Amino acid sequence: MDVVVCVKRVPDASGMDALVIDASRKDIERRTLVAKINDWDEYALEAAAQLKEKAGVSLTAVTVGPDEWDDVLRRALAMGADRAIRVDEDMLAADCHAVSTVLAALVRTLPHDLVLFGAQSEDFGSGQLGVMVAEMLGIPHAALVVSLEVGEGSVRVDRELEAGALESYAIELPALLTIQTGVNRPRYISVGGIRRAMKKDLQIMSVSELGLTAEMLAPQAVLERLETPPRGKEAELISGPPEETAERLVGILRNAGIL
Amino acid sequence: MTLADYKYADMIHRCFRCGYCKFPVNWMDVNSCPAYARFRMETYSCGGRLWLTRAWLSDEIEWTEHLAQILYTCTACKNCEEKCPLSFNVDILNMIVAAKAEMVERGLVPSAVKEFLENIERHGNPYGTARARRGEWTEGSEIEQYQGQEFLYYVGCVGSYDTRAQETARTLGRVLTRSGVSFGVLGSEENCDGNEVNTLGEEALFEMLAEDNVRKFKELGVTRVVALSPHSYNAMKNEYPRFDGTFTSFHYTQLLRDLIIGEKLDVSGGFSASVTYHDPCFLGRWNGEYEAPRRVLRSIPGVELVEMEKNRAGALCCGGGGGNFYTDFLGGSESSPARTRVREASATGASVLAVACPNCMTMLEDAVKAEGLEDSLAVKDVAEIVAAACGTA
Repeated sequence: MDVVVCVKRVPDASGMDALVIDASRKDIERRTLVAKINDWDEYALEAAAQLKEKAGVSLTAVTVGPDEWDDVLRRALAMGADRAIRVDEDMLAADCHAVSTVLAALVRTLPHDLVLFGAQSEDFGSGQLGVMVAEMLGIPHAALVVSLEVGEGSVRVDRELEAGALESYAIELPALLTIQTGVNRPRYISVGGIRRAMKKDLQIMSVSELGLTAEMLAPQAVLERLETPPRGKEAELISGPPEETAERLVGILRNAGIL
Repeated sequence: MTLADYKYADMIHRCFRCGYCKFPVNWMDVNSCPAYARFRMETYSCGGRLWLTRAWLSDEIEWTEHLAQILYTCTACKNCEEKCPLSFNVDILNMIVAAKAEMVERGLVPSAVKEFLENIERHGNPYGTARARRGEWTEGSEIEQYQGQEFLYYVGCVGSYDTRAQETARTLGRVLTRSGVSFGVLGSEENCDGNEVNTLGEEALFEMLAEDNVRKFKELGVTRVVALSPHSYNAMKNEYPRFDGTFTSFHYTQLLRDLIIGEKLDVSGGFSASVTYHDPCFLGRWNGEYEAPRRVLRSIPGVELVEMEKNRAGALCCGGGGGNFYTDFLGGSESSPARTRVREASATGASVLAVACPNCMTMLEDAVKAEGLEDSLAVKDVAEIVAAACGTA
């Protein structure tokens, strides 16, 4: 069985108090942020790595980005990917349609029984990419998958709905799933493992090699600006001795109908 | 890796679980392995961990998150090494660290350990706070950036980011300035020392950190390092030489001792209190330094130094080593080592529990609050007591 996992490199903003919108008003200030693999994609990779451990799965990790994005593919290789391909194109400012056009064109060139995406990205978070690629490939999909079990020619999945409800499907392969966090527990990737992955081949392709033209990648949605939300009501900081602050907090929670 | 490939394959079976690893030096109880004292199960003692490791590597038991947690509750305090009567005792902790290293290689570490290591790899500290903020603790102080001064004052992750430990870091800076010591810090250029990474079994990440620090220190021409944390001191003194780190390392209590003896630090202002001193594992058992902090405290007029029953090589660990100050596998109980330790401190009648490690500071101060001892027992760093005695508090 052939599994393809699409991964993305995102800025890790966890160490900062706040994100800063840059001068273009169309992106955040990235210079002070370190990069990492998109959280959701790590779960997708772990799901694929676990499938590989169970049975004869060939696992390919793919991404679209400039050369510094190789590091997320190295991580994928260290997690168990047999092959990694990067389409060398900076598409940070591109819309989901353009990126999914590239990914669909790439996946079409690869054997694929199961295509996995993270359910969304940590930066722009549209949650559209996987679903759009499935439509372009003309294969069934399920989004927000919280469990999966591959059978003969099909995959059984649970999707997460509101209030913890689950929706279960049996989907014929080939299929595309977007993976929700919590579906598994992604393994730790040691620095030694990443170093060993540095020795593995990483294939680079261009959009033209995929037969794509600038017209085909023309944006359908244009980002106009980013802005921080307007400041809401000021938070109340309760200070004083614990017995007084606790009493005050209980009062607030009672008045709000929470207690 | 199978048992046959394990570095200690010809040795690990020799532990027959005599149980000595749980005792303190004076045999007063069986509570000196912090994890055993917390959970009261043989599996959490060093001997138990060795048996579990052997069973895991022989495929007699499967890996589980619980198995990993049992191994990672080890604080690397070395009480077991101190007490193990057998000839291989110098390697019993190494055997646990090697088992952790195998878990790291297989990606099978507990989630909290994964987070700890990933944060250090990305941000240079376990908290995941930005590198750019590492130097914020110096704001408002007169502490200078290192530019060839006699000493590099290396603060470490806890001193750089933990609010309480930052106070200690600034206080020590004032004491060093008062003593006329020429020193500077790296601020946001400082990186994690890697000591905990090493005890967690992430060898390649430790190498990366050690190489980065050694390269940086060489570029800056550093010849002497004074460390706030015994963890940093241990890594730099004992591990960095294999990465060609040729500078001389001091724990700050050793420098303060020398300054007091050399009459460069005047502590005649005194500090009137009954003080009990808690030996940090990475200063005491790991590096045999029991006297420098005591010498500093005894030299301060008004300090009445009283010892806890468990002291020096028999001291009970605060429970923060081996990354546990962050992963907190030993917390959440009155049997947590930090809470046990502050009860032992309180039993001496001392009003001040002196520490010489920012990890111990955060662990024990939290424990004092959990035990409701805030009115009778204050946790102070040795540097803070010195600062009070020399008028720079």
